[in-house]
Amino acid sequence: MTNSINEIENSEVLLVAGSNTTEAHPQVARRIYDAVDRGAKLIVIDPRRTKLASRAHIHLDIRPGTDIALLNGMMRAILDDNLADDLFVEMRTENFYALRDMLYRLDLAEVAAVTGVDQRLWQQAARLYARARKSVICYCLGVTQHICGTNNVQAYANLAMLTGKVEKEHCGVDPLRGQNNVQGACDMGALPGVFPGYQPVSDPKARAKFEQAWGVRLPAKPGRTLLDMTHGGGNGPVRGMFIVGENPLLSDPTMDKVRETMENLDILVVADIFLSETAQLADVVLPAASFAEKTGTFTNSERRVQMVRAAIPPLAESRTDAEIVIALANRLGYSMHYQSTAEIMEEIALLTPIYGGIYHDRLEESWGLQWPCFDRAHPGTPFLHKYMFTRGKGHFVPADHQRPAESVDEDYPLLLMTGRIYHHYHTGTMTRKSAALNRECNEAVLEINPADARALAVRNGERVRLASRRGAIELKAGITERVAPGMLYTTFHFAEAPINRLTVADRDPGSQCPEYKVCAAKVEKLT
Amino acid sequence: METRYILKKDHLAPWLRRVAKSHRVVAPVKNRHGDTLYAEIDGLDKVELDLAGQPQASAKSFFLPQQEVLFTYRTGKGGYEFHEPATPAPATVYFGLRSCDLSAILYTDVVFMGRHKDPGYRRRREGAILISIACHQPHPNCFCHATKSGPFLEFGYDLQFTDLGTRFLVEAGRSRGETLISQWRPFFSEAAEEDVKLQYQLALEANGLFRRNVDVGCAVRKLAEGEVAEGIWRELADRCQDCGGCAYLCPTCTCFTIRDEKLGPEHGERLRCWDACTLEGFSRMAGGHNPVAREQHALKRRFQHKLRDDVHKHGRPSCVGCGRCVGICFGGVDIVGFIDRLSEEDLP
Repeated sequence: MTNSINEIENSEVLLVAGSNTTEAHPQVARRIYDAVDRGAKLIVIDPRRTKLASRAHIHLDIRPGTDIALLNGMMRAILDDNLADDLFVEMRTENFYALRDMLYRLDLAEVAAVTGVDQRLWQQAARLYARARKSVICYCLGVTQHICGTNNVQAYANLAMLTGKVEKEHCGVDPLRGQNNVQGACDMGALPGVFPGYQPVSDPKARAKFEQAWGVRLPAKPGRTLLDMTHGGGNGPVRGMFIVGENPLLSDPTMDKVRETMENLDILVVADIFLSETAQLADVVLPAASFAEKTGTFTNSERRVQMVRAAIPPLAESRTDAEIVIALANRLGYSMHYQSTAEIMEEIALLTPIYGGIYHDRLEESWGLQWPCFDRAHPGTPFLHKYMFTRGKGHFVPADHQRPAESVDEDYPLLLMTGRIYHHYHTGTMTRKSAALNRECNEAVLEINPADARALAVRNGERVRLASRRGAIELKAGITERVAPGMLYTTFHFAEAPINRLTVADRDPGSQCPEYKVCAAKVEKLT
Repeated sequence: METRYILKKDHLAPWLRRVAKSHRVVAPVKNRHGDTLYAEIDGLDKVELDLAGQPQASAKSFFLPQQEVLFTYRTGKGGYEFHEPATPAPATVYFGLRSCDLSAILYTDVVFMGRHKDPGYRRRREGAILISIACHQPHPNCFCHATKSGPFLEFGYDLQFTDLGTRFLVEAGRSRGETLISQWRPFFSEAAEEDVKLQYQLALEANGLFRRNVDVGCAVRKLAEGEVAEGIWRELADRCQDCGGCAYLCPTCTCFTIRDEKLGPEHGERLRCWDACTLEGFSRMAGGHNPVAREQHALKRRFQHKLRDDVHKHGRPSCVGCGRCVGICFGGVDIVGFIDRLSEEDLP
């Protein structure tokens, strides 16, 4: 997030895209409600009529995967109404003319046809967003999990830059992160092309710094992305995997392919707190400690680094992730010794400029520090890009609408989206162990519009077969107006109905994120 | 008039140490993270008693554990065999209970020791001696003066302590409390008239120190007369984050669920666990039908129970004004906000 979560409360216009905030980020949703209570206007871009969408002043219920077309339409409306922030565009951005020329060539009728949204609605939304002094964009996986995910995000960034809604408090572009520490994992270089703090492995200076600190030679070439590993990439098959706290068998697309990859490995080692579906395929399972058993930090969506303290020692023979990595390193011949996690944090501060001033003792008695925090005296950074963007000037990248990887056809006439529900978390490795959460929800439900259900003669609660070109599962039908006619929605929490058997492995060329949000499917009655 | 005593502060620890020889002692203790919680005291010298701060949780879990084994079972040739676990309930002195928390125990007594006597609760409750501490420094979210369950109690305690600065004024409400004094009588002296006067003064001042002014009576009346607009319930439901935190933390929320856990092919146990009426699954029927539409009424039953049904049944609301739900609610839809909302409607 470029903003802090609390800034949302005081925004005047909230544009929420591809996010079922109420269920996936209740703490953010609460601030959105508070903002609306104070008179803010809420615009929701979502194919589904989520709880938040039903409370929105404007709900733009686009067809899945048509964000770019919609955003181009909105930006065109802003140019037509002369609502662009000319000074900001002039001073802080570059490549504006390429965007402008593209927008002036735009066929507005086609935008309406592609998105399925009335032109007046998106124009109204654009004016609301552009006119307010404090407008914020929150987006989530509905924007990123497309083959054009990177361009989708860029389109939202274009909108914010065009109207000067960045670099200020209460104005920004906020991706809502899913896990408690997914931001921290990215910050620490759990990405194929960067060292901690987003320092590229291809940068000789960064490489030299880490080589000197760690006393090893480091590769200059980025590693493989997740889907390259599970679905095969250009560099031949992977032979061994060490998977920490992840359950790719259920969470990655096209499940049967993932299973095949896992089964063909020379060795699979999984460290997890429970025996997940992936761990069941492993040659070696290392029992890991839970959050309550370790001391360290988590970094949340607003870049806030917070302490977590062990409440109890690790149970039975389990060990913390750090202990596992250290023990493995030592046995593999690399000497690694730390007195405490605070000492690891010191190394992070030493080598990672954005974490340069973050130490355990500073976090002890506080609610944490928001990076960038360059030295001990630095108070942290509530919102990003004040005075200038990280790269210098904000770069407009005009983008055209791109059709999803798979379209509906006669054989598979329905469009399936996947996502999450309130009571379960990802593949349920943890939440499905909880009797209380299972009582709330213990079964996958396929959301289907009443019109489609009628045509298929499917009753509410009836079990149906859901199939795509890649596979089929059985699950319960839930008839609801939340999804539009022709669309389906379900979740990936349930191993009994593993939806990723059906999803496509096509992915965004930049982020390598698969298109979980669109695949062609059909529903059949069970006989 | 009951006898009032004085216990010098210097004598508190020596007296408690003697009490601890024959009783388990539970008291508010500040832990290593700086949080105050009721905890069993294992060695008075090793812990830091905190009689000023409000413990973060009530004493509910000592009487109604978050999770309790009701019985274990085994299957054999002759069918099921059931065993009730032998849970020992040692005689326990609860020292330093806040007035709200003690009032809450009196309420849960009505639930679990009324017509039907719950064996587990009864075991734990019958061996309990309740010593409250009068609050003359209310906390920011407290409103027990509005629910008439504090800050000073007039009944219900075995002993009530009032902090008079260098000494405690001790009132004995029941013979069990009196025994703890008579057993170690030399620690206690009889209270003088000025001590009693000072206590009255503190009680009067305490009522003026509450930062929240909550019109509980107005909410009780409006709920009784069905005057709460549907839109209010809907708005509350919209903002409720479905976490159950209010019910778990509430000293008088007693809803539970029963769960059977298989521990092996031939044995298992039946558990009783805390539950919350705000959760959707609480009222869902086996066929999937739910008589309570969560989307509109998530909090309706909770507030109605506290402020309407219990008034009807027991003559008083079952909210004790401890204010803990105000601090825990992520959605900002705690009972104080609700009551304030109803009383604000009446303002001109």
